[in-house]
Amino acid sequence: MAILNLKKRQIECKIVYYGPGRCGKTTNMEHIYKSYKKQVTGEMVSIDTEGDRTLFFDFLPMDLGEIKGFDVRVQVYTVPGQVQYRSTRKLVLKGVDGVIFVADSLAVRREKNMLSLKDLQHNLKEYGLNIFKIPLVMQHNKRDLAGEGLPIMALEQMERDLNRQLKMPSFPASAIAGQGVGATLKECLKLTLISLKKEMKLGQ
Amino acid sequence: MVNFALAGNLNFLSLGDILQFLGSNTSTGVLCITSKYTQTQGKIYFVKGNPVNASAGSLVGIDALNSLFGWVDGEFEFRDENVSCEQIINKSRMQIILEALSMLDDGQIERLGPMSFSDKLQSSGNSSILPILKGPLIDYTYIVDEEEFRANNKIVAEGKHGGWLWVILEGVAEIVRKTPTGPLKLLRIGEGAFIGSLSSFLMLEGTVRSAAISAVTNVQLGVLDARRLSVDFLRMSNSFRNLAISLDKRMKQATDMAVDVHLNKIRLEEYINIKNQVINQGDGEENLFEITQGVAHIVRHTEHGYVPLGSLYPGDLFGNIPFLDLGQEPFHASVFGSKNLEFKKMSPDDFQQEYNQLQATFKNFIDHLATCISVTSMVTCEFHKKSSQK
Repeated sequence: MAILNLKKRQIECKIVYYGPGRCGKTTNMEHIYKSYKKQVTGEMVSIDTEGDRTLFFDFLPMDLGEIKGFDVRVQVYTVPGQVQYRSTRKLVLKGVDGVIFVADSLAVRREKNMLSLKDLQHNLKEYGLNIFKIPLVMQHNKRDLAGEGLPIMALEQMERDLNRQLKMPSFPASAIAGQGVGATLKECLKLTLISLKKEMKLGQ
Repeated sequence: MVNFALAGNLNFLSLGDILQFLGSNTSTGVLCITSKYTQTQGKIYFVKGNPVNASAGSLVGIDALNSLFGWVDGEFEFRDENVSCEQIINKSRMQIILEALSMLDDGQIERLGPMSFSDKLQSSGNSSILPILKGPLIDYTYIVDEEEFRANNKIVAEGKHGGWLWVILEGVAEIVRKTPTGPLKLLRIGEGAFIGSLSSFLMLEGTVRSAAISAVTNVQLGVLDARRLSVDFLRMSNSFRNLAISLDKRMKQATDMAVDVHLNKIRLEEYINIKNQVINQGDGEENLFEITQGVAHIVRHTEHGYVPLGSLYPGDLFGNIPFLDLGQEPFHASVFGSKNLEFKKMSPDDFQQEYNQLQATFKNFIDHLATCISVTSMVTCEFHKKSSQK
């Protein structure tokens, strides 16, 4: 649930990147951090957690407009999937407004993707959230690796594996080249704002 | 006059949440944190929403702030006031929060509270080093005398008569049970833990010590005022007394069972009738029951099979005790009844009210008893895991 900050006249909403280890969550966030540099307040926080990194920054995307005179401030996080980081996960997922699931296109990571998605459902449920209801966008990352001769999965197969039930919007991407990164985030922000407006009954 | 702008329980609102809240509110003032597991108070100073300094025990600055993330069970109060202390913390809010939380989960920040055993047992993998069970903050008003035991000396001998009830003021002791295959170490206890059971001052069924306790380090003990405790006890309602005695028996059952499971003496199918399940582990039964006839067996379902944790008899209570975590039914064990089992429903609310009004030492005693039951159950499951792996 987003926070209304009356002092600053801002709505703070929380977007979380989720996905298996080394799928490109960090690369996604680094790219966004660079391209929105001017609108980012403060540094990007980066914590080394075992097997993965936890990142955070917040920014005021100019192109998002405002809701009833409130600017929208976006906090972006990645969250460590490892079981032991319960406290970090709790802080990050509590009150999350939108989720971007980054899937790894490498064929060898197929199972890791599915496990991570299941894990996401489980973790959201723990904080009273429903994966079917929360604004959720999928990104099929590392499409560029096909060009390097590495076996990657067809988009159709990934959709079948991960998106058959959820039917969330999905985007092919190559985070390292910056392709598809902005589109994924924008879609997620769009869904999040629609859902926020609905929640606050400001839509009518 | 002191004015609290914000106060509450850390169980409900964690330090991470509070920091974020004070941050987005750009508050200036002092956040005080207290925990019943430590006597010192933690303080964090905020200027315009950013933590600038902190203190906790002998620590200051960021180290103090980090350590406060380990006070997961406690209370906080935020005072809206001018802060004039020096700024020695320069990290951003989220950096502090995310860093501290990952340190907490990595075990670099100590969690204050009754030990969390499952973590320790799993990570150490070395069962010769037993976890140390600490009790709640000691209430000194009931201590009438102090005694000291040197390391490796026996404090209590198994099977001997003895009526003292002690609380450990300093040091670590070990609970040991005699078995045909040699002494079996069950638990280590530290500051705040109690030695002796209710029977110590009730003279229930004689006062035979059910296990030996020896000092691991030099141990300083406080002798508790048994007369005052028995007066407190007599002031309680009949049903609450019954609950306390039932917990005491349950503790003894849990210990007996740990030994039996260790010796691999238990044949579960011989006494448990799967058809007569009263409570299913994890189903969230909300009621409390008193047994009027028959026997109820408490059994935990683990990935290595069913583990018996003890049996309850007429007069004993089972079900959900809202203010205590026994680590048994309804969340962590099932209850199976004998064919002739009969029980009646009790109201947990009456118990809750009486519990809230208990004297500190008695409350501590009951809390500690619950933690001991919970931990002994875990130890039993570890024994079971080992014998099933053999």
